[in-house]
Amino acid sequence: MTTMQPTPTPRLATVHAGAADAGARTMIEIENLDFFYGASQALKDISIRFPERQVTGMIGPSGCGKSTLLRVLNRMYDLYPGQRATGKVMLDGENIIGPQVDASRLRSRVGMVFQKPTPFPMSIEANIAFGVKLHERLSRADMADRVEDALRRVALWDEVKDRLRANATGLSGGQQQRLCIARTIATRPEVILLDEPTSALDPISTARIEELLDELKRDFTIAIVTHNLQQAARCADQVAFFFMGELVEVDSAGAIFTAPKQKRTQDYITGRFG
Amino acid sequence: MSDTPRHIVSSYEQELNQLRALMARMGGLVENQTALAIQAILERNTESAQAAMEQDPEVDALEREVEARAIKLLALRAPLAQDLREIVSALKVTSDLERIGDYATNVAKRSMRLGPTTSDISLGGLRSMGRLVQESLRLAIDALGQNDKEKALDVWRSDKAVDEIYTAMFRELVTYMMEDPRNIGACTHLLFIAKNLERIGDHATNIAERVHYSVTGEMLPASRPRGGQPNVEAPVP
Repeated sequence: MTTMQPTPTPRLATVHAGAADAGARTMIEIENLDFFYGASQALKDISIRFPERQVTGMIGPSGCGKSTLLRVLNRMYDLYPGQRATGKVMLDGENIIGPQVDASRLRSRVGMVFQKPTPFPMSIEANIAFGVKLHERLSRADMADRVEDALRRVALWDEVKDRLRANATGLSGGQQQRLCIARTIATRPEVILLDEPTSALDPISTARIEELLDELKRDFTIAIVTHNLQQAARCADQVAFFFMGELVEVDSAGAIFTAPKQKRTQDYITGRFG
Repeated sequence: MSDTPRHIVSSYEQELNQLRALMARMGGLVENQTALAIQAILERNTESAQAAMEQDPEVDALEREVEARAIKLLALRAPLAQDLREIVSALKVTSDLERIGDYATNVAKRSMRLGPTTSDISLGGLRSMGRLVQESLRLAIDALGQNDKEKALDVWRSDKAVDEIYTAMFRELVTYMMEDPRNIGACTHLLFIAKNLERIGDHATNIAERVHYSVTGEMLPASRPRGGQPNVEAPVP
């Protein structure tokens, strides 16, 4: 007669499709970051690393602190009195929230793209040259090359090469957003921050931007805030979930979207929150 | 999972509940079909055999409905995390249940062809095997309905016992055949019946693996505890 034999507890394998490369060099390392809008604390003891040449997606409900974190990464908050950050935000070994940091120089290293396309009311060409001129003196020929290179990298060159002097505000929404990304990369930053860059775009323009992110991460470290979870799943190597100013969980996109470890993450991404 | 809050979008919650209800119905039917098929062999009960066969079209229809609903949920709700795991698991489990239904139907059909010669052949092995397989299937379906990873693990571990009985039965039946060629017809049917029951056990284990993944997000290892495989050379009369 057969008896049930005890068998050892199985060793489990977790499926982490598209796991972020844990061995990648760290471009930005945040340690114990707190951020305040006056008396109100918007970020609480955040510690996270942004691996070089990877896309970090930041998700969470409105007001959870994800956009605030982006604003810390290029010291946008400096422009507003009463806003302050404490802790460490190390970019290539330098604490960028320290008092000695030149915010203008920092912003050439850490570019930002916003939710709504923000082309300047000037020509397509001038839009791109504008940022470059703030930091570099280039000959006319070099500038033309820089403009072309930036437009090619965002796959806009073929669409606008015959009308570089036309006003940028005449471009479609998707083209305007790619122009803004071109303007950002023309200054040759190390990090690109994107704050809901496709929320005002149609699905085709969104797909173009997402395809572009895949290309750009070969050269840049990218942080993207998005409310579109599928977008985070499609674009990001690692995903960070924020809630009420806290970083609840950070892991590879595969792990976060198939088997998150924290219940709050699970409840949020499955639409069961609150 | 009782501590899981409801979806904010109630129609999504309803659709998931409908999928769960279909799975529960399919599980119940297949469990019943298997019980009837086993009863048909052990008790030579043609009514049970007939009843088991008659349930098969409904099981097949349920599989198609589960598939259609799961695909619709994937397309329209873009599920993530536990929802994604549950829906993908439902797609796989429904196909395991459908296969179990087919095996039960085969067992029922063969039970009607066994004929009188089997009266001399001991059905003790089949009885034990039937009991174990039914228990595994019941546990697997309970684990599915209750999202119970411990029950799923119990099923996963118990498949070895089914394999071992199958191997023993194989040897026993081959021995009967070698002893008296008149047994060959009946024993061949019994061998197929034993194989079908063993496959039902395998599919119950698959269901358990899916439930474990759905609940925990962790895959059980590909190699599960197994009993010996039958060796045609082995039996000596």
